[in-house]
Amino acid sequence: MDRKLFVRHAFSALGIVAVAPLIHACSKNNDSASASSDESSGSSSDVTTDTSCSVSPTETEGPFPTKQPSSYVRSDITKGDGIGSPLTAKITIVNSNNNCKSLEGAIVDIWHCDVDGNYSEYGGTQMQSTNFQSVHWLRGRQVTDANGLVTFKSIFPGWYQGRATHIHVHVYNASGTSLLVTQIAFPDTLAITVNSTGSAYGYTKGTSGYTYNNADNVFSDSVAKEMATVTGSVDKGFDLSITIKANA
Amino acid sequence: MKRRIITLCYRKIIDANCSDEWCRNVFAATYQEFKMQAQFYNQQKKHTTYKQLIDDVPGANKLNFLVSAAIIDYLKELNDQVPDVVNNLGRSFLRFKNFQFEIIQSDITSSASHAVAIYFMSQPLIWHDTVGDQMITSENYNDDNCEMIINQFRLSENLGIYTLQTLEV
Repeated sequence: MDRKLFVRHAFSALGIVAVAPLIHACSKNNDSASASSDESSGSSSDVTTDTSCSVSPTETEGPFPTKQPSSYVRSDITKGDGIGSPLTAKITIVNSNNNCKSLEGAIVDIWHCDVDGNYSEYGGTQMQSTNFQSVHWLRGRQVTDANGLVTFKSIFPGWYQGRATHIHVHVYNASGTSLLVTQIAFPDTLAITVNSTGSAYGYTKGTSGYTYNNADNVFSDSVAKEMATVTGSVDKGFDLSITIKANA
Repeated sequence: MKRRIITLCYRKIIDANCSDEWCRNVFAATYQEFKMQAQFYNQQKKHTTYKQLIDDVPGANKLNFLVSAAIIDYLKELNDQVPDVVNNLGRSFLRFKNFQFEIIQSDITSSASHAVAIYFMSQPLIWHDTVGDQMITSENYNDDNCEMIINQFRLSENLGIYTLQTLEV
């Protein structure tokens, strides 16, 4: 996406808001933006309101000040090995400080584990090759459009000990300032079905020792706010949709 | 008869003193990516520097991996050529096959102290000889007494031998 385009639009989404006290927040759901992380407790919500209509200098700095965006900026985040049942994730970001209107120009990072429950990650430094095959698999970044929407092509995540199936999400404003760190939950029955019948697609771990949402230390008290709507099947692939509320 | 095969490693430090455009672009991109990624490990907003994060926050050393995504397209711009390293005739000659990325230091409140390093590991070279302080190398070896193209260059504090293999031929 062209940097100038979303920097221009980002401010229009964020700048023309009234100051919105919490009692006037979204009518259907009075919950504040959910924020959870399995690495640290507490919320990262960075509440900023701006009542002026002039572009502030920090907004024009933008997240992509140079020619080449990070290699995260892509919609297809799959490993390229064909393993895993395809999943298209449509994530809509709305602004809980603006009656849950769509938030355009927000940067959305997602990441999740592969069919075996592994993340692309390492601590410290490691050698990478000039074939530039993505070592950052199953990690991606997109910017929300006028409808607050980002779309990713990925796979149905695997699972690992101690956690229910989930996708990590980090929402930033157009300047790269964190608005929300959260996770997407999946219906228990669906996760069990994929992991018990999906071995032809790489889900060979089974379900022994699987942590259900109500026992998950991240989801157990908030899963309704973080639950995705998922349709499809292991054979045909899945469509996931969710609306995430951020304080922008 | 022994033949020595070496690979070289060139360390490029990218910081506020960058003099070329490529370096300045990588500096800006890695700083921006660091500022974004560091927020995940700093949700209580207790820390401002990279050192504080890796000393205090479990898993924060993944920032090297996470920020390295910012340099990939800039590395592709190099077309496998190691930057800055030239032979005694002023020509670039070294190509790289692998690289490592490392955050040296950074600070979310100021880019002035941001510094990262990229280590470029070269293709194999045959080390024939050393003349004075200059290495005499070639990429290929001609067994039939034909001429070989030679690269003559100096090692430096940022350019050293990374691997050495001695073959009996």
